[in-house]
Amino acid sequence: MEGVGFGDLRFGDPVDTYGGAPGEANARTFGVHGYPFTAVKPG
Amino acid sequence: MDVRGARMETVAEDELVDVAALRAAVQEHYAEVAHDPVGGDFHFHTGRAATDRLGYPDELLDGLPDACVEAFAGVANPFAWGLPQPSERVVDIGSGGGLDAMVAARAVGPDGWVVGVDMTPAMLERAGRNAREAGIDNVEFREGLAEALPVEDGWADLVVSNGVLNLVPDKVAAYGEIMRALRPGGRIQIADVCVEVEVPRDARADIDLWKG
Repeated sequence: MEGVGFGDLRFGDPVDTYGGAPGEANARTFGVHGYPFTAVKPG
Repeated sequence: MDVRGARMETVAEDELVDVAALRAAVQEHYAEVAHDPVGGDFHFHTGRAATDRLGYPDELLDGLPDACVEAFAGVANPFAWGLPQPSERVVDIGSGGGLDAMVAARAVGPDGWVVGVDMTPAMLERAGRNAREAGIDNVEFREGLAEALPVEDGWADLVVSNGVLNLVPDKVAAYGEIMRALRPGGRIQIADVCVEVEVPRDARADIDLWKG
C-alpha cells in the first residue's frame, strides 16, 4: 500500500473472523484474523 | 496497533493462480451466498452471526432489510474508523448484498452518493433490490472489478471494502486503482484478513483455499 503512495496507514484491533465457522481450522493453521485498516492518499 | 508478525499478501500472485478460474470460482461461490445466504454451506459466518461477531452496532443495521443483512459476508468492520461524513462520495469495493454501501449511504445523506462495485451479477441484483426496499436512493450498484473500478479519476472521498481484496490476485494493481479513484486527501477504510503464518506456494495456488 505504501508502495503505491498511501500514507498514514493504521491497523485496528484484530477480530476472530472465522471462530466457530467451518473455516476455523484453516484460519487457525495460517493465523488468519480480520483487521480494519485505514490510510490516506496524500493531498 | 502493532501487527508485526502479521502479513498481508501484497505481491502480485497471478503467476501462482489462474486469474480467470479464480474469478469464476469466486463469482460462483458468492452467487450461492446471494441466492441462499442462510442455508448455504460456507466456510465463513454470514448475516447477523457475522455482524455481531465483527462488532457492527445494532443501530447501523436498524431499518435495513433482512435480506440485506442475511447476505453479509464481511471479515471485520470498516466503520470501526468512523462513518462517512455528510455529502461525501463513497465507493464500496465488493459490495455484495449491499450492507456496507447502505450504511454508508445513510451516513452521507441526500447530498452524498455511494457506488457499490461487484463482479457478481446475482449480488448486484440482490443489493439493488435491498436498496429499493429500504428506500435508499443515494446508492447505486455497478458491475466491475477491484482492478478496474467503474468510477472517474479522483471521484471518491472514501473507499471502503470488506473481505474482498484478499480475493484479488494482483493487490498492487487493486490498490493502485483505489488510489486513482480517490481525490487527493481521500482515504480508505478497509476490512480484510491478514495471515500470520507464511502460506506455502502450493496452497497459494489452490483456488479452494483462496475461497476458504
